[in-house]
Amino acid sequence: MAHRWGMAIDLDRCTGCEACVAACHAENNISISTPEQAATGRTTHWIRVDRYYEGTFPDVKVKYMPVLCQQCDEAPCEPVCPTYATYHNPEGLNVQVYNRCVGTFYCANNCPYTVRYFNWFDPVWPEPMQLQHNPDVAVRMAGVMEKCTFCIQRIKRGKDEAATAGQPVADGDIQPACVQSCPAEAMVFGDLNDPESKVSRMAESSRATRLLEELGTKPKVFYLERGR
Amino acid sequence: MASTMYLLSEFRDKEAVAGAIHSLRASGVGDSDIDLFSEEPVEFKRGVLDRPSQMSLAAVLGAIVLGGAATAFVRFAQYNYAVNTGGMPTFSFWGTGVITYEMTMLGAVLATFVFFLWESGLIRKRDKTAPVPVVPPECICLRVRCVSGDVVKPTAILQESGAISVEKKAPL
Amino acid sequence: MYRHIKQPELLPYGKIREDLFRPLSGLTRKYLFAIIAPILVILIGGYAWATQLRYGMGVTGLQRPVFWGFYIVDFVFWIGISHAGTLISAILRLTDAGWRKPITRAAEAITVFALMIGGMFPIIHLGRAWYFYWLMPYPNSRLLWPNFRSPLLWDLTAICAYVTGSVIFLYLPLIPDMAQLAEHNTPWRAKLYHVLSLGWTGSDTEWHALERAMKLMAGIILAVAISVHTIVAWDFAMAIAPMWHSTIFGPYFVVGAIFSGLAGLMIVMAAIRKLMGLELYLTRHHFNNLAKLLLLMSILWLYFTMAEHLTVWYGNDPSEMVVFGARTRARFSTLFWLMVFVNFVVPFVLLGIRRLRNITTGVIASVGILFGMFLERYIIVVPTLSNPRLPAASSTSYAPSWVEIAITAATFAGMIVLYLIFSKLFPIIAVWEFKPHPHEDEI
Repeated sequence: MAHRWGMAIDLDRCTGCEACVAACHAENNISISTPEQAATGRTTHWIRVDRYYEGTFPDVKVKYMPVLCQQCDEAPCEPVCPTYATYHNPEGLNVQVYNRCVGTFYCANNCPYTVRYFNWFDPVWPEPMQLQHNPDVAVRMAGVMEKCTFCIQRIKRGKDEAATAGQPVADGDIQPACVQSCPAEAMVFGDLNDPESKVSRMAESSRATRLLEELGTKPKVFYLERGR
Repeated sequence: MASTMYLLSEFRDKEAVAGAIHSLRASGVGDSDIDLFSEEPVEFKRGVLDRPSQMSLAAVLGAIVLGGAATAFVRFAQYNYAVNTGGMPTFSFWGTGVITYEMTMLGAVLATFVFFLWESGLIRKRDKTAPVPVVPPECICLRVRCVSGDVVKPTAILQESGAISVEKKAPL
Repeated sequence: MYRHIKQPELLPYGKIREDLFRPLSGLTRKYLFAIIAPILVILIGGYAWATQLRYGMGVTGLQRPVFWGFYIVDFVFWIGISHAGTLISAILRLTDAGWRKPITRAAEAITVFALMIGGMFPIIHLGRAWYFYWLMPYPNSRLLWPNFRSPLLWDLTAICAYVTGSVIFLYLPLIPDMAQLAEHNTPWRAKLYHVLSLGWTGSDTEWHALERAMKLMAGIILAVAISVHTIVAWDFAMAIAPMWHSTIFGPYFVVGAIFSGLAGLMIVMAAIRKLMGLELYLTRHHFNNLAKLLLLMSILWLYFTMAEHLTVWYGNDPSEMVVFGARTRARFSTLFWLMVFVNFVVPFVLLGIRRLRNITTGVIASVGILFGMFLERYIIVVPTLSNPRLPAASSTSYAPSWVEIAITAATFAGMIVLYLIFSKLFPIIAVWEFKPHPHEDEI
């Protein structure tokens, strides 16, 4: 049976440390922004940690929520792209084809999670960070939209290695950079079509919910939180 | 062999022209041998000098043809490069109905324009030998083609109807 | 029986022709200045665009989540202006309103030029503009096609159809005038006009065909125009962004387009009346009628604006209420209420009170309306994008950069230049159409 990749994030474990953000940067050749760019909303973080504050000092509560592309099964970003630069692949991933993107920005406007990021200029890395690039991932040019891919390069490698070994892909073999780096092990990645996988079991938890579910996007990232 | 001759006449008054056309037709001159020249359109009552037209039909046909072709092409293209976007169907008439509509309209526009060029005679192989009168301001020129070369009767009719001047001209 | 009344329609044909052909010859200093200044502005705009192409969209003020800004506002604005010609030419032609006659060509010219300018923005706003042709379906080595489900493809087809139709609609009634011009002109121009007039002789066959074609085109172009701005509106309405996903957008934009188009038309009319000495042909009667139409559209615009905002406020959807608050109470409130003021209050006073209604106040109201409609498009685009559904991603700092402002200014300059060139090549009032037929019978 074909894979259907999904992710579960346990918000009760998340500490907001942003290791996932850093790991994603390193893995996916994401450009590093200057303070001026950060001030004008031009940073690129394929996964970002949203913070919501409740109450006033000293009774402040902070909620952390890592938000990444939800790989929606009925993604609103896909039908509006005039060049098919973003579409749904048979494994349920919302793929972004960099060299087909003309930069109409429609996908980013239609994404209710605001998880799409644009290359306003050609990317820059302060020396010597450009030596750290991941050769498995393209470096995008100015004018192209990008977003989280569930580390499709790791998925591909995992599938290739399993095929070489003549085994099916085992649960936990493939881990995107963010999942791999989380010190609290709050993130789980796997095949939703496999009922025994950890992510499927977590998705069925009574604590599980999805972000902006009511919009009908059918996202594949499950957030687990006590009190649901 | 009897040679074709043309009569160029000038009129000031629209009613007089209508009368002249009526009389000419009564004497056997066909509609295709009568031409009016003016600097602005001259409008008559129905029946005086009608030119049948298929332009509306052409517009409708052009609309249907281009609209249908565009829809068929969209359907072909969506299936030819079938990609899942947001769970939408591979081809949906309503989803791309806008394109059908616009191309239908464009078909009507193009058909109207092409048919105009044809019906007006602007792009047809014209009878270059027919003399074109220079229309003085506020005048209407009536040109009669006398195939048999007999200009006596038509000239008389034109003068009786109130033509300011009648001139006989050979083909160019 | 009306010969003792000196109406322009009853002037001798030769005088009309002379008056309307006179501006076509000779270049005055005023004209040269009027055309060189906008050309300079266009050059600056060109440099701005070159900068953008070289360095990337980062030279604009755009940012996440405001991915559409001034360029899209410009796009909707100019496509809206293009509805001037369609309204005057098509609708008034279909209803046989005689007062439209001296205005139709000027209005149709506005339509064509506004479409040409507006049609550039889908290219200008692209991140990789040099690949704009990928939106067109052509056989290619990658064996793929564009996505016809995308509203942007619908935009493309709609605008293509509209441009084609408008150019033909402008060209057809120009043919008899060009045949006239071919007879009295300088050699190179005579050749140009002779070719363009396709050898028109003024025979009744030609006139019949022309009138029939114009009647058909009027109906078709009206249908196209309404659909075009509806489709532009659907770029927003098909998205699920808060306060965009509304069924009212289609009609709202069409009304707004006719509104802004009429305002643009009034300004152009007043300008050519003054600059080309056409006081006899563009009379207070025409401006009065235009003003009344403008007033009607202003009221209609207010109705749609109120309907949209009332339903959002009453529905109280949280995501939409944030945008609603941003528009009416928070960051964009100054612009919002300014928009209401110049789009409704000023026209209502200046055009609604008969004593105040004249050409000058009409132009003042129209300038205000153009500004107000530009604001309206801005208020539709930016507040929604600034306040996405996930509040952590919201932004308050979009402002247009010099690049966007320069390109916007260049479009206005471009309109002026195109119009100046047009008025030198073709009579701005259709000579043949203007004079009503003496002793007109019932057909």
